[in-house]
Amino acid sequence: MRIAVCVKQVPDTTEVKVDPKTGTLIREGVPSIINPFDQYAVEEAVRLRDAAGGGEIVAISMGPPQARTVLIHSLALGADRGILLCDRGFAGADTWATALSLSMAIKKLGEFDMVLCGMQAIDGDTAQVGPEMAQLLGIPQITYVDKVEIDGKKVVARKTVDEGYEMLEARMPVLLTFMTPSDFVPTNPPFSKISKAQKKPLETWGVKEVDGDPEKLGLKGSFTTVTKVYSPMKREKAVMLEGGTDELAKKLADILAKEGFF
Amino acid sequence: MLSYEFTEEQDMFRQNLREYLQKKVAPHLPKMEEKQEVQPEIIKAMADFELFGPCVTEEYGGPGMDMVMAGIIGEELGRNDPTASTAVFYLVDASWSHVFCRYGKEEAKKEILPDVCKGKKYCGIATTESDVGSDLANMKMTIKKEADHYIVNGDKNYISGLREAKQMGGGHVTLARQDLAAGARGMTLFFLPIKDNPGVTITTDRELGREGMSTGGFNCNKVKVPLKYLIGEENKGFYIVHEGYELARGIIACVCVGAAMKSLENGMAYIKQRKAFGSPIGKYEAIQFQLAEDYTKLCMVRDWAYKALHYYTKEAREGAKIRMQVSKYIAMAKLYAPLWAFDAINHSMQWQGAFGYTWECPDVKAFRAIRSFTLAEGSTEIMHLIIARELLGKEFIAYK
Repeated sequence: MRIAVCVKQVPDTTEVKVDPKTGTLIREGVPSIINPFDQYAVEEAVRLRDAAGGGEIVAISMGPPQARTVLIHSLALGADRGILLCDRGFAGADTWATALSLSMAIKKLGEFDMVLCGMQAIDGDTAQVGPEMAQLLGIPQITYVDKVEIDGKKVVARKTVDEGYEMLEARMPVLLTFMTPSDFVPTNPPFSKISKAQKKPLETWGVKEVDGDPEKLGLKGSFTTVTKVYSPMKREKAVMLEGGTDELAKKLADILAKEGFF
Repeated sequence: MLSYEFTEEQDMFRQNLREYLQKKVAPHLPKMEEKQEVQPEIIKAMADFELFGPCVTEEYGGPGMDMVMAGIIGEELGRNDPTASTAVFYLVDASWSHVFCRYGKEEAKKEILPDVCKGKKYCGIATTESDVGSDLANMKMTIKKEADHYIVNGDKNYISGLREAKQMGGGHVTLARQDLAAGARGMTLFFLPIKDNPGVTITTDRELGREGMSTGGFNCNKVKVPLKYLIGEENKGFYIVHEGYELARGIIACVCVGAAMKSLENGMAYIKQRKAFGSPIGKYEAIQFQLAEDYTKLCMVRDWAYKALHYYTKEAREGAKIRMQVSKYIAMAKLYAPLWAFDAINHSMQWQGAFGYTWECPDVKAFRAIRSFTLAEGSTEIMHLIIARELLGKEFIAYK
């Protein structure tokens, strides 16, 4: 069983404050953590590898040099090898360029039975990288998974949807994005596991190592840019409309017209 | 070295430990305070995270941490438990299992230490007597060698963890006089089992704080101790016991910093929202000046404590010839950490007004607990003497 897990270092958004003047996030001094959904993906990878009787888990992260701590954390949780994609050529990447970089690294690492990701990063919240990677790798994907088991050469996954759950099957290789179950308590590895993690292989790769085209990676390879991040304006009041469907629709349309939306 | 820098491994360990303690230990603290006893769930949680016997080598079931790590554990326990009961449970175990590991006999180490590291046995320290604290050389407890065992007679008082050793098993690293004519040169260190040991009678005291951890005394009446429980050499115990004291002092300094920093955080949360005369009281300089001074002092003593533990690790593991540095910095940290921590906690209580004088205020628990550390494992008075001795030379020791 060979599993690739993508992990990201993110600011601990429970401690992030918003600048009252600009409305943007104040990241300075905020501690960095492993993206919580990615931690669940790592722990699931360990469980699935062990249930399969062994194998290899490669944790991959794209980020600045300090992002190696989330790889060490992943190794302490049970991953076997870590790859840090760290290069100026990767910087400024949007979700597509990020997905491309990670996919190229995975292709370079060889065949995998599964690629696991958290459903989204808690700083960006786009939930795009996992599905984009599946497309680039040409493998099926199941998103918003909270439970998965292996059945021979396929996986059986429980996907969360608005109405409840769907049970889906897919042949491996497959990409899964995980959301955390409500009863998930992240594991904190003790000293012995952190110490052993320091001795596991952890390499830093650049654009060259993934055989990347610099024009298609990083800022140059990004189709989108983030121009501003801000909190929604706090509304002082809310207007509650009452009535039947037709009546509500007319009232809402009148308000929108009055506000200049059309 | 101006300032100690934590390694990536140490930072990662601390972050994980802090989260773990909040999840696995903090929920059981109310029951611990109610029952006035460290609960089995807490002991198991701490054992599962390899917190016991931290400096015991892997050969004897320990995680083989260095002393800086041991200090980190102390600081985080100080933060997590305002009563410091779990911190005391830990630091006594940590310091004296270290000495046992370094100087104990092979058979005894293999018998006792793996269970200590699993949280199945306790390892304490017993040197203090009712008339003997700082002047250890004058203690009354005796140990006498017979053919194939020792015989121990005497009392110890103000000893932490006797109830714990009795319940869990294990015992106390104990100092007694063997060569009665030789003073400090005639003292022997040994491991004394407490549980099911005929001739050992325990009493308990009621302390001002640290209510989850027992303190008391015991009497030995012709207690037999197997030869395998000798620690170090006969009559050389006085010189070994200071290694345990030094580790304990370094960890205590870290515990004090953890508790006081947490108390300042509690106080800061309060002063940001509590209003008086139209403004949050955190805007008033009288409070800001106290906060600034307390925080600065705690940062300074924290740095000394970790620098001391780093030096101590270098000395113990690499044989570095830095005895004066170790001794001086540990004494400096142990001297001021309890005093400055006590001030910081006291200020935090003051900021919180009448609530700060109620049993519900967590800082009141810390206030009662930290007060003990001007005495435990070496008083502030002795720390003064150690620092002066390192600066002036041994010929200036007043009490010999």
